[in-house]
Amino acid sequence: MELGGTEGTPRGLFTCELCELTTPFTYYGQKPPNTRAIVLLEECYVMRDPFCPEKEKFLVLGSTCSLCRKTVCVSADCSLFYTKRFCLRCVREHLDQFPPQIQAELRKKKPTEKTSDLASS
Amino acid sequence: METDRRRDSRSWDWDSPQCRAQLDEVFFRPQDYIRAGSQEHREFWTFFERFQRFKGKRDMALSKAGSDALKDESRESKSRKKGAVGSVDLGLPKEYDARYRINVSVCTRDVEERLGGSDRRRQTSSGPGKEEIATCRLTLLHFLDFCQRQSFGKLAKLRREQRSLPIFQYRDRIVELVRTHPVVVVAGDTGCGKSTQVPQYLLASGFSHIACTQPRRIACISLAKRVSFESLNQYGSKVGYQIRFETTRTPVTKLLFLTEGLLLRQIQQDAELGRYQVLIVDEVHERHLHCDFLLGVLRSLLRQRPDLRLVLMSATINIKLFSSYFHSAPVLQVPGRLFPIQVIYQPIPPEEQPSRSEKLDPRPYLRVLQGIDQRYPRGRGDLLLFLSGVAEISTIQEACQTYATHTRRWIVLPLHSTLSLAQQDKVFDISPPGVRKCIISTNIAETSVTIDGVRFVVDSGKVKEMSFDPKAKMQRLQEFWISRASSEQRKGRAGRTGPGVCYRLYAESDYEAFAPYAVPEIHRVALDSLVLQMKSMGLGDPRSFVFIDPPPAASIQTALTYLKDQGALDSHGELTAIGKLLAQLPVDVVIGKMLVLGSVFSLVEPVLTLAAALSVQSPYLRSAQHNPDCATARQPLYSNQGDPFTLLNTFNTWVQVKAERGGGSRKWCRRRGLEEQRLYEMVNLRRQFKELLKSHGLLEGEQGAPCRQDRRQRQQRFSERRKLHQLKRDHDLQEGMRRKVLRLEEGEEGAASSGSEGEESGRGRRGKDEAGQSVDIQEVKFKLRHSVTELQEAAGASQDLSSRQQALLKLVLCRGLYPQLALPDEHNATRKDSEQIFHTRNKQGVVIHPTSVFASDPEVLHVPEPEPRETGSEKPESSKHQLLAFVTLLETNKPTSATASECPPCRSALLLVSRSVDTNADCTRVVVDGWLELTLSDADSALRSISSALMLRADWERLLQAQLRNSAPSLDPAPPRPPCLAVSYSLRRLGGLEAQNLYVGPQPALGLPDAPALNPLFVGMKAEPHPMKGGLRVSSFFTYNCLSDSKDLYSECMRTFWSCPHCDFYMPLTPLERMHHEATCRPAGELQPKDEPEDGTAASSKSSSSSSSLTRVYHCDVCDKDLTLTSTQILKHKRQHL
Ligand SMILES: [Zn+2]
Ligand SMILES: [Zn+2]
Repeated sequence: MELGGTEGTPRGLFTCELCELTTPFTYYGQKPPNTRAIVLLEECYVMRDPFCPEKEKFLVLGSTCSLCRKTVCVSADCSLFYTKRFCLRCVREHLDQFPPQIQAELRKKKPTEKTSDLASS
Repeated sequence: METDRRRDSRSWDWDSPQCRAQLDEVFFRPQDYIRAGSQEHREFWTFFERFQRFKGKRDMALSKAGSDALKDESRESKSRKKGAVGSVDLGLPKEYDARYRINVSVCTRDVEERLGGSDRRRQTSSGPGKEEIATCRLTLLHFLDFCQRQSFGKLAKLRREQRSLPIFQYRDRIVELVRTHPVVVVAGDTGCGKSTQVPQYLLASGFSHIACTQPRRIACISLAKRVSFESLNQYGSKVGYQIRFETTRTPVTKLLFLTEGLLLRQIQQDAELGRYQVLIVDEVHERHLHCDFLLGVLRSLLRQRPDLRLVLMSATINIKLFSSYFHSAPVLQVPGRLFPIQVIYQPIPPEEQPSRSEKLDPRPYLRVLQGIDQRYPRGRGDLLLFLSGVAEISTIQEACQTYATHTRRWIVLPLHSTLSLAQQDKVFDISPPGVRKCIISTNIAETSVTIDGVRFVVDSGKVKEMSFDPKAKMQRLQEFWISRASSEQRKGRAGRTGPGVCYRLYAESDYEAFAPYAVPEIHRVALDSLVLQMKSMGLGDPRSFVFIDPPPAASIQTALTYLKDQGALDSHGELTAIGKLLAQLPVDVVIGKMLVLGSVFSLVEPVLTLAAALSVQSPYLRSAQHNPDCATARQPLYSNQGDPFTLLNTFNTWVQVKAERGGGSRKWCRRRGLEEQRLYEMVNLRRQFKELLKSHGLLEGEQGAPCRQDRRQRQQRFSERRKLHQLKRDHDLQEGMRRKVLRLEEGEEGAASSGSEGEESGRGRRGKDEAGQSVDIQEVKFKLRHSVTELQEAAGASQDLSSRQQALLKLVLCRGLYPQLALPDEHNATRKDSEQIFHTRNKQGVVIHPTSVFASDPEVLHVPEPEPRETGSEKPESSKHQLLAFVTLLETNKPTSATASECPPCRSALLLVSRSVDTNADCTRVVVDGWLELTLSDADSALRSISSALMLRADWERLLQAQLRNSAPSLDPAPPRPPCLAVSYSLRRLGGLEAQNLYVGPQPALGLPDAPALNPLFVGMKAEPHPMKGGLRVSSFFTYNCLSDSKDLYSECMRTFWSCPHCDFYMPLTPLERMHHEATCRPAGELQPKDEPEDGTAASSKSSSSSSSLTRVYHCDVCDKDLTLTSTQILKHKRQHL
């Protein structure tokens, strides 16, 4: 039952500069351990997927915005990947350069950076 | 595109398993991220189908809107150019493709190259072409992206919830306080998140080796689960729990949830508690016995461990008390998250007040239900109703159910701890739309059970609590007004999910008159176990221990006296050998004693079961009692020897059923109205007891049982266990995810469950629901923990007892339960079944608990009609008097003794277990413990039986002491035989006046010519006049000739001729002399105990010769010598010449 050895030791804390989501990461780069044929197309903050019973699954937490260099999480409210990582602020600033599909998506999404607190516990 | 592909490779079929398998060889090889055959691999192909359908639809939509899109595109490219003038060019591709949004790529070049080569050679073969591979790869990318999004979504939601908790703002402050102070008090109301978050904050800020105690086992498990999930360690063991029977703790565990009792046990083994850096004691405001004690122990521990950090967590109740107990520790108060609650005082009008004997009037409660229906006809929100006890609940439940059946707007559900777990669980299920739940509960829902969705609370203001009377040593269940603190707690239950209303069925002035806080448990219960534990922890005099709220001195004194009586403490108040052992056993002293005795007398298996059975709640559901089917099915399990033996039968039969039918035992239990969970608890407890006895050397280890299995069997067992582990993991994963929707009829069935029909059908339905998807997890756990074969052997061993063993077992039980004895009233035979009464030493008019076997079949206890024999006394003489030994005495309206057991042939039993035995000169009158009088008309048999009982008791003690001294089982402990003398006698309880004038009192040394020089009958005991009672104290418990009615104080005159049955000794002897002869003259063939110490203290004939006044000059004709010998020695001497 023990997965302790393979959980990986945290290399630091990842914090999204937009939503402040904070969580420890165990790897930074494009080739997380045990991913075999899989390669990431950007340098990412990665941890072991905590919601998967298999220990070799990874979870990308976020990366750096290719324009403003802010650290952002992969949440659709904070960033977008389209050949490169863009924080949502930068996307809005350069919206005209993005294809219409993405423009439409962003127009639908109201600029609500404060996520509603609907916790239940 | 798709049609093209179809044309190109006519033989390619995406749905064919063969085709998929070929792609599996490219993407899902054993060394790949996703392996063929894994859960994810299955999910991929499901995803594949969905994805292709979705793509097909989108392609169609696109081709339709193709012309529009073209126009858009041209407009788009214009605007894009315009934008590029002012800012950087991002260099994004011109044409949109969803693939660009995925930050993952899959390199399979190696495989493709290999395949590419073969592809050319086998042009017409059905292998996947480039396109198939591309399609599969693209789908895989989307699948990976989908999985990432799913997991990240969970993480984001989790973090969002954590941050919205009221305690989140205090995160840094809490960590800072703990760093700088040895003790910190965190006070916050329900819903502030302290229990789940504070341990995590400490963990995240670098503390490790954290223990967090909980008053309840169930909370340990659920908190460990929640916190390991929240700290992203769901599949690791950084966060674990430890409770009585199970632990998830491993060497890497950094945060452990455990019960207060368990932490105390750990302190008992390691006084410094070196393994922990931080201790969090949660729910200190509940003031449980263990918690109060734990705080006291930790308070002194802090002096030795200045590095230790202690965090007390409490509701905002009486915070000052905790802070000042720990030298003004800093307090951090966190506001709770409660919605506004409207309080309505609705005192019950005088005409609806229940008088003492009457049932509760349901009208005030029904008015609240009606009021809710009128004022809030729509909307959700359940009702929680607090009543004092089970009887009250069923009265109100019945009335509410009638109303609910009529209006069809309510589902009425009871909630109390004696319900089956399945029934308790129902309160968490969801009601259908337009219907509210009405949960009628004891104070269990005040703190222990939290039900979300409650918006209305009805508070009766009453609670039934156990209180302990140290004088009568009796528990009382009494109704009290609640405290203001629990009144507020009850109110708070209405505001967890939205604004709520609390109806208080008392006046505001009543509320103000309530005590501020509830009486802590330490003031209400017997302190035997606590004091024993304190002694074994070396905490000095319990009377001077600094408790947070010291218990009454009388309670501690009672406990000390009790422990001395039980032999756990010596006369100086120090632990005896048996006391040390008892302190190690996490059970009541009574149960502990039985375990020790059972192992000493080679009755381990049945005693283990008995001890376990008496330590858990009875598996017999009260609700099933009036169900005739259950009653019939139960009949064969009943034992006329009493409840413990019924439980023993039940357990053994259950084990048999489990061995034969496995999971079918669930049904077997249901038929009989048995809560199987309790039997599982028993089997676990039994095993724990067994291990305890082994580790204390009272039981031999297994005689290499595993060696007997051959390799194949071992493998079989191994693979079976692996399967079971998998089942358990699967179950744990899906656990708690599903909540069922209640049916409107649910409550109606429940109301009928005074005769468990409802439960039967209700659970039957559930069983069917679950049959497909879930396994009986208890059965799985059971199989993982226990070997059925071994249990079967044990059950067999305790079922086929010889009558001698059976009698011995009863004695062990009795000695354990002693002095909890009750005598039937002499007029019981003429009373109705339900009106049988009994008397204990301190309490008259006890009735038997309605669940007891003796309550349903009291004839067992009647003394058979005395044989028409002239005895000279009006009292009936019989050899079959019955005494009840009981486990707990509980006072409700009448004192009730729960779980009764028949006491074995009582005279011998009494003589064997009692603390004091006093007799008159010819032993025809015996008074036991100053309250039970036995009279015999036949002086000869009186003397014979008392003498044999005394000898037997001496053997018992010797054996017990030897066992405890060596702490290793001797190979053949030669269990002493219980005497089976059918002596007729009468038995009665002494009246108050008689009991007062019982003894002759101290005598000037007149008479008793034998006394000064009398031989010790028992090891280490010198016979001497009793300083209080008078007469002669012969052993620690036996005082001869001290009863004030003794006809003749000159026992010289009591000499009668007597012949020893074992030797041909014939002489006039006083009763005492006769006893002495019997103690030393053993029947031929019976061996003297081997382990008898040879140091001369024993009452062996060799060493006592010179000092005895029973010696006389004997002339041996063979040796032609004058010898000074006792009569026994004379006999031995004679035998030499034979
Ligand atoms: Zn973010
Ligand atoms: Zn940016």
